[in-house]
Amino acid sequence: MDYAFIDSFRKAQVQNNWFLDLNPLSKLNIILILAIIPIVAKSWIVSVAVILFYFILATASSRIKQFSKVYIRLGLLIGSLLFIMRAMFIPGEDVLMKFGFLTITQEGVDHGIQFATLVVAICGALVFYSVATQAKDLMLALEKKGVSPTATYVILSSLQSIIDLGSMSKLIMESQKARGIETEGKAINRIKAFFPILGPLFLGAISNSEEKAIAMDARAFYAPAKNTHLRELRPVPLSEKIILLIVNLAFIGFIVWRVVG
Amino acid sequence: MNCISLKNVSYKYPYTEEFALQELNYAFETGKCYGIIGANGSGKTTFCNLLRGMIPHFFEGDLTGDVLIEGKDVRNWDSNLLSTKIGYIFQNPFTQISGIKDTVFEEIALGLENLGVEKEELIDRVIEVVKLLKLEQLIKKNPNNLSGGQKQRVAFASIIAMNNDILVIDEPTSQLDPESTAEIFAIINLLKEQGKTIFLVEHKVDLIAEYSDEVIVLKDGRITLSGSTLDVLSNIELLQMGVMLPQAAMLSYDMQKADEAFDTIAITKSQVIEQIKQRVGV
Repeated sequence: MDYAFIDSFRKAQVQNNWFLDLNPLSKLNIILILAIIPIVAKSWIVSVAVILFYFILATASSRIKQFSKVYIRLGLLIGSLLFIMRAMFIPGEDVLMKFGFLTITQEGVDHGIQFATLVVAICGALVFYSVATQAKDLMLALEKKGVSPTATYVILSSLQSIIDLGSMSKLIMESQKARGIETEGKAINRIKAFFPILGPLFLGAISNSEEKAIAMDARAFYAPAKNTHLRELRPVPLSEKIILLIVNLAFIGFIVWRVVG
Repeated sequence: MNCISLKNVSYKYPYTEEFALQELNYAFETGKCYGIIGANGSGKTTFCNLLRGMIPHFFEGDLTGDVLIEGKDVRNWDSNLLSTKIGYIFQNPFTQISGIKDTVFEEIALGLENLGVEKEELIDRVIEVVKLLKLEQLIKKNPNNLSGGQKQRVAFASIIAMNNDILVIDEPTSQLDPESTAEIFAIINLLKEQGKTIFLVEHKVDLIAEYSDEVIVLKDGRITLSGSTLDVLSNIELLQMGVMLPQAAMLSYDMQKADEAFDTIAITKSQVIEQIKQRVGV
C-alpha cells in the first residue's frame, strides 16, 4: 500500500509552486482581471501584452508545456479565423487589396487585429486557468465559501460526462464498424455514420443519469450531515491576501483611469 | 427483531399497467442474510429498490400495503436518512462510480465525506476497506478508467466503508472472475458475522446455499417460495420457477434416480462430502 500517497491527504495538497498553490478563487480573481484588462483597454498592444503575460505566468508556474500545447493551437485557429473574417468584411475607405467581390481595407485589418487579439487574450485566461487549477480544487474552494455540494457535483459530473460521451460515441462507432457500416474514409461517410448514433448516445446518457442519481443517493449524497473533505486546501496566507488586495486595487485604479481619462 | 416487514405490498412503476411486485408479505429479521433468487424479469431489482426505500421515494409509481423499516412506514422515512441506514450496491458497476473523483481512494471516501466523518477516522476506514477488498494496487488509479470487475469491487468497497446496518446487494459478482467472487463472498460472510442484515440477489445459487440463512424466490413479482435455505434450495419445484438447483442438490436428486439416495437432499459441497463419507464409512 502506498502510504505516502495516503498521507498526502492528511495535510493540505500543495505543489510547491507560488502560483499553483494560490487558492483557486485567488487565481480566478487574478485571471478574471487579466481577461477584463484588454476589454477595458481596447488596444491590441494591451491584448498582446496580456497574451505574453500568460506565457510568462505559465512558465513561472511550470505549466508552459500544457498551456502552449492547447493555447497556440486554439489561438492560431480562433485568431486567424476572426482576423480574416473581420479584415475581409469590415468596410473602409483605405483599400489595400481586392479579390473579386472581397475588398480588404486598412480599417478592416485594424479591426481584425484588434478583435482577434482581444478574443485570443480572453481565451488565454480560460486556457491558463484550466491548466493551472484542478476543477475539483475550485469546487472545494467554492464549497468552503458556502456553495452547495449539489451545485459543485453538477459541474464536476458535467465535465466528466463530456469525457464519458466521447468514449461512448467511440464505442458505438466501433460497434457500427464491426457490423460492417463504413465509418471511415470520405467526410460524407463519416457524417452518415455519426448522425444516427446521436439518438442512442444521448438516450443512453439520460438513462445512465437515473442510475447515477441512485448511486449518489447510495453514497449518502443527500444525508443531513455537514460534509467533510478528504482533500484539503492550503489556508490562505497573509501574503496571498496582500497580493490579491494590491492586484484588485491596481485594477480598480486602472478602470477609474480609463473611465476618467 | 424485525428490521423490515412487508404487509400486502404491491407495486406498479409509473405509466405501467402490470404490477412489478404483488402481494408481498414477509418479516425480515435483524442480523440474517437473505438470498433473493428468481429468473430474469422476476422482480428482484424492484424488490431491492423497495427494501432500500427507493420505492416510493425515487420511483414514485403506485405502492400499496405497508413497508415497515424498523417499524416505521417507508413513506414516513426521510429518504435522505435511509441512505445512512441501508447500503445499496446495485448490479451495474459502470454507473456506480461517482465520476467526480480522480483516485479510487477518494472514490471510496466519498460516502464517508457525505456522512460528515472526520478526516482521520475517514482515512482509517478507507484503508481498512482497501485492505479488506485487496484494492491496494488500485488506490491511485482513476476509477473512471477501471475494468468492469474492478469498478464492481470499488463500488462494493465504497458502500462497505459506510458501515450501514442493512445492506442490499444486487448481483455483486456479475462482472467478477471466480477468485474475486470468492473474495466478495468471504467479505459478505464477515459482514454477516458482524451482525449486519444482508439482502443478497445472486444468480449463483451455490453461493446463496453457502451464505444465506433464508431464501426468497420471486416469480412474476410474487414470492413463490421462501423459508430456510435448506428447505428452499432442496425443493425440486425451483426448476419450474426458472431457477437452477445448487449442484449439490442436483447430485442428490441424481443419486435418488439411481436408487442410491442419500438420507437428505444436500445443498452445499460440504454437506455432500459429509454424506459420501457416511456412505463409504470414512
